[in-house]
Amino acid sequence: MNSARIDELRRTRPRSRLLRWSLALLALLAVWAWAGGEIDVAGAFGARRLENLRRFLSEDIRPYDLRGKPFDLSEHLAWCWHLGTDRGFAGALATLEISILAITLAGIWASILMLFAARNVASREPFESWVSSDGESARLRSRGGGWRLFSGLVRTLLVFLRAIPEYIWAFLLLGMLGPSAWPAVLALGMHNAGILGKLGAETVENLDPRTLRSLREIGASRAQVALCAILPLSLSRYLLYFFYRFETCVREATVLGMLGVASLGYWIQDSRTRQFYDEMLFFVALGACIVLAADLVSMLARWIVRRAA
Amino acid sequence: MAATALPESRRVSGRGLVLAALALAALCAWLALDAPLTGLVPREGGWDVARGFFGHALRPAFTYETEVPDGTSPLLLSGLAAARRTVVFAVAGMSLALVLGVLLGFLASSSWWAQDSGGRKGLRQRLGPLVWGSARVLIVGMRSVHELLWAVLFLAAFGLNTFGAVVAISIPYGGTLAKIFSEMLEEAPRDSARALRELGAGPLQIFLFGQLPRAVPDMAAYTFYRFECSVRSSAVLGFFGFPTLGYSITQAFENLHYAEVWTYLYMLMALVVGIELWSGALRRRFVA
Repeated sequence: MNSARIDELRRTRPRSRLLRWSLALLALLAVWAWAGGEIDVAGAFGARRLENLRRFLSEDIRPYDLRGKPFDLSEHLAWCWHLGTDRGFAGALATLEISILAITLAGIWASILMLFAARNVASREPFESWVSSDGESARLRSRGGGWRLFSGLVRTLLVFLRAIPEYIWAFLLLGMLGPSAWPAVLALGMHNAGILGKLGAETVENLDPRTLRSLREIGASRAQVALCAILPLSLSRYLLYFFYRFETCVREATVLGMLGVASLGYWIQDSRTRQFYDEMLFFVALGACIVLAADLVSMLARWIVRRAA
Repeated sequence: MAATALPESRRVSGRGLVLAALALAALCAWLALDAPLTGLVPREGGWDVARGFFGHALRPAFTYETEVPDGTSPLLLSGLAAARRTVVFAVAGMSLALVLGVLLGFLASSSWWAQDSGGRKGLRQRLGPLVWGSARVLIVGMRSVHELLWAVLFLAAFGLNTFGAVVAISIPYGGTLAKIFSEMLEEAPRDSARALRELGAGPLQIFLFGQLPRAVPDMAAYTFYRFECSVRSSAVLGFFGFPTLGYSITQAFENLHYAEVWTYLYMLMALVVGIELWSGALRRRFVA
C-alpha cells in the first residue's frame, strides 16, 4: 500500500463534527473544573486535614473498647461479631430485602410503562409508520396525535421518576405514609422504574419491525402484539438491564437510611451522627459484602439469561 | 440428560427459571420485611404533604419564599451556581475516574498479559495472572462501596473538603470503568491483533495498534454514559453537605419551601436531560 493511498484513506475516514466539538468541549470542561478554584486540592493536604486523617486512622476507626490496647485480632473479630449479631446482620438482611422488593416492583412498572413509551408501539399505526421516512408514512405519523401525546406524557413521567433523586422520593413518601419500610422500597422502585422504563423502551424500539408488522397484518390487536411478541422478544435484553439495575439498587439501598426500617443505611447514618466511626466503618464494610453477594447473584442470572437467549 | 429428550416447548427455559426465582425472592423479601399493605395507605395529613409538594410543581419559585439576609444572591443565581458546582464535581470526578479506569482496566484485562509470544513462557505471562488478579480484587473493592459512602468516609477522615467529594466520585466510577474497559478489551475482535502478530509485531504493539483501537468506540460510548450518571451522583452528594444542587434541594425541603425545591429540581432535571440527550447523540455516533 503506497503512501498516497494511505493519505487518501486518511482524508476520507468517517468523521463527525459533533464528536470532535464534544471532545474539545469536554477537555475544556475538565481543565475548567480542575483549574476553576472550586476544587480545593491543596486544602485536602493541609496540616489540619492530615492531622484529622491521622486521628481517624489511628483512633476513630479502632473499636472504642479496644483503643489504646495492643492489636489483637481475635478481640477485634469478637467485637465485629457482637456488633453484627446485635444490629449489623439484621440490617444487612433488611437492606437486601428492600432492594429485591424495590427492583421487582420497578421491573413490573417499567415493563408496562415501556410499552407506552416506545415510539413504535404508541403510534397510530404501530410498526409501520415510524421506521421509513417516505411521504406516506409521514402522513400516517402526523395523524397519530393522540397516541403520540400519550406516549410523550409517559416519557415525561419516566424523566420525572429518574431525574428526581431517590432521596427526595423517600423523604416525600416518609411524610405521606409514615415510618415503615415502604418509603424506602417505593422510592428505590420509582427511581429505578424511570431508568428501566427508558432502557426497556429503547429495547422495544430496536426490535425487528418485520415480526411485529406481520402479526399486525394478520389482524392482531395492539395488546395481542404486545403480549405475544414484544414482551417475549424483548425479555432477554430487559432481564439483562434488570439485573444490572439490581446491582445498582443494592448499592443505593445501602446508602438510603431513614426512619422506619433498620437497614444498613439507617445504622450508617446513626453511627455517623453520633460520630462512632468504628461502628460506621463496620457497617460500610458489611454493605460492601452484600453488594458483592448481589453482584455474584446478578452475574449468575445474567449468564443463565445470555445462555438461554 | 432427561431434559434434552423433552420437546422444545416442554423444557424449562433459563429465562423462566430466572423469572420464577425472582418472583419467589420478591415474595420472601416482602414477607420478611414486615411491610403490610396497610402501610401503603397515606397516614392522616399524608395527602396534604403530597398536595403541598406536587401543588408547587407548576409554580416553582423565582424568588426566595421568605426573607433572606441582605447580600444573599438571588434564588435563580444561587441555583445556577449550585448547578455549575454539580457539573464541576462531576467532570473532575469523571476525569480522575477515566485515568484510574484506563490504568486499572489495562492491568485487569488479560489481553496484553496473556498474549503468547510463541514458544516458552516469558516473565510477562508468568507475572500476568498475579497482576490482573490483584487489579481485579482492587476494582471489586472500589466498586462495592457506593460513592456516597466513600464521601461519608472522606468526610469523617478529612472533614468537609471539595477534593474529597471528587475523589469519592472517582473511586467507584473508576472501578466500574476499569471493569467494563477490561471486559471490552477482551471481547474486542482479535483479527487485527492476529494479523499484526503475523507481521511480527511485539506484544505492546499488538495491544496498542491491534487490540485497543477495536475497543475504543465502545469504551468511549460507555464513558459518556457514566458521565451522565456522575452528574446525578454529584447532585446527590449535596445531601451530605457538599455545595451541589442536592444541598440546595435538602435545605429548601427541610424548610418546607416546596416551590424552591421545584426550582432546583427543574434545574437538576434540565441538567440531567440535557446531558442525556448530548451523550445519547454521541453514543449513536460511536456505535454506528
